[in-house]
Amino acid sequence: MRLSRIAGEGIRALGINKLRTFFMMAGTIVGVAALVVIMAVGKGTERRIMKRVQNFGPRAMMLIAGGGKDMPPPDMSVTTLTLADAEAVRNAIDGLEVVSPMAWRFQINVKHEANQYQAVVWGVEPSWHKAWDWYPVEGEGITDDDVATMARVCVIGRTIQRELFGDRDPVGERIYINNVALTVQGVLEERGTSGMGGDFDARVILPITTAMRRVMNVDYVGAVRIITRDPALMAQQAEAIRELMRERHHITPPREDDFRIVTAEIIAEIARGTSGTLSMLLVALAGLSLLVGGVVLMNILLISVAERTQEIGLRRAVGATRRDVFVQFLAESLAVTILGTVLGSLAGFGVSLALPRLTPIVAVPSWEPFLLALVFALLVGTFFGVQPARRAARLRPVEALR
Amino acid sequence: MIELEGIEKTYESGSVTTPVLRGVSFRVEPGEYVAIMGASGTGKSTLMNVLGCLDKPTAGRYRLDGVDVVELDDDELSHLRNDKIGFVFQQFHLLQRTTALKNVMLPLIYAGEFPDDAEERAEDSLVAVGLSDRMTYRPSELSGGQQQRVAIARALVTAPEMILADEPTGNLDSRSGLEVMAIFKRLNRQGRTIILVTHDEDVAEHADRIIVLHDGTVAEDRRVDEPRDAEHEKQLALREETAE
Repeated sequence: MRLSRIAGEGIRALGINKLRTFFMMAGTIVGVAALVVIMAVGKGTERRIMKRVQNFGPRAMMLIAGGGKDMPPPDMSVTTLTLADAEAVRNAIDGLEVVSPMAWRFQINVKHEANQYQAVVWGVEPSWHKAWDWYPVEGEGITDDDVATMARVCVIGRTIQRELFGDRDPVGERIYINNVALTVQGVLEERGTSGMGGDFDARVILPITTAMRRVMNVDYVGAVRIITRDPALMAQQAEAIRELMRERHHITPPREDDFRIVTAEIIAEIARGTSGTLSMLLVALAGLSLLVGGVVLMNILLISVAERTQEIGLRRAVGATRRDVFVQFLAESLAVTILGTVLGSLAGFGVSLALPRLTPIVAVPSWEPFLLALVFALLVGTFFGVQPARRAARLRPVEALR
Repeated sequence: MIELEGIEKTYESGSVTTPVLRGVSFRVEPGEYVAIMGASGTGKSTLMNVLGCLDKPTAGRYRLDGVDVVELDDDELSHLRNDKIGFVFQQFHLLQRTTALKNVMLPLIYAGEFPDDAEERAEDSLVAVGLSDRMTYRPSELSGGQQQRVAIARALVTAPEMILADEPTGNLDSRSGLEVMAIFKRLNRQGRTIILVTHDEDVAEHADRIIVLHDGTVAEDRRVDEPRDAEHEKQLALREETAE
């Protein structure tokens, strides 16, 4: 009771000199706001990564033609990956649920009447739907029959539908790819951004036979999509596939692989990129600004103690103990940092909400950084408040009143 | 009751020791109105600090209301000041940007028990010094005399054993000074013990008794045969002004 009365005296002083209070808070506000924003952006990034992994498929691997460690653009000149390779993987590696080869072409002009669009064209087997967990929402998907008969049919993504047909129902309509007429027999469910950052929905899929013989005129495939039964075995299976492919393609060191294997894990790594180290740096900067804010706070408090020497003397004369004076100044310091934390959190929250609207940055505000900032602010307030409070408490009343 | 016995105070700075009080003894009975007088450098301020329990004597005994002050530690001295002493300073020492009422309530914040009727007590104190219409004013909105009256109200609010006033009229014009002295007189007539520390004989003569310090000892301790009556003088001055 007495303690809260005396702490109240310290807090009351903040209202008396508002400009000084603002300067004491400034560092905390900036630091906390930065912390909240950085953590929101970090969370947004993590969520985007998770979504990409989800889109790629958490149990998926891609065996892609062409070497190198980085991600596409895929190397179209590599012609060594074949349907026989896919068959070999299917037969030799245990624990795989789906092995689905694909022939692909990027940036192919797709036409319908006067409309055209640069699409990604994939030739697929019926297992593709299962391999991507991606099915038509209208019409039908690619069937065994389509593959067997080299049917002139296709299934299109939402973006293609929008660009070529607008609001009209595309099923049964014709589109042209490389002057080959294809009948649209389905529309794929909307999927968003791909693991590689492209538009998943700007896609046309055809029976793999139609694609290889009629549209692309090739006898090789671009990639094989592989789904494992057990994600825990994925790394091991990827290694086994790598060995198998080296053997089939007669690759011995120092020759480089003419294929590469991308797993969900690698997709996450690529999506994460440099954001990890960058956000560590930003968190360190926010921490630093809180620390600098703390030093400023301490200095203003020290000046304030010097300015208010007579007030302290008077309080001592009318009965304040040393502890009372200490509590008063520490309460002032803590109140400043707590208030600064609240204001900084609000500012940071506001910026987090505004960021996705004004920039491509995804930020997801949450309450965790607020708690973290509060703990940090209390530490700063205590650490930098103790010294001025102690100095105030040590003043001898006789000298303070002079 | 205030009892001082052989109070000595010596200041040390480096190897130089300066005796300021060299054996001061006197008693003040409850309800007395005493002025402690002396030129500057006679130990007057030091004695005031000792009396106010703001500083401890180097030697001697000081009993305040039966409590041996010299034995107390810093916290106990704080509580003692809160409980038994009301201070009035030359520079008023009011908290700026704080209302008269809040200023007067300040000592109650440090009381062992915060009284439920703290605000009423502060109001009563302000009424007692004639500031019932200035309770929500801040020091910057008050004249010097009014500020000093707020300070007196603050000294009264804990109902202390004694009021210790250090040159209370030092910063005031003569008319405000008279007003303040009239309040002290009135409080004393209501039974309050008042100790007035001053260098000014004219101010000291408002008291019933004058103790003169000289060179760190009591040089003179006398009754005032006919103490000045501030209220009466105030009326006279007022009458003269109206006559003109």
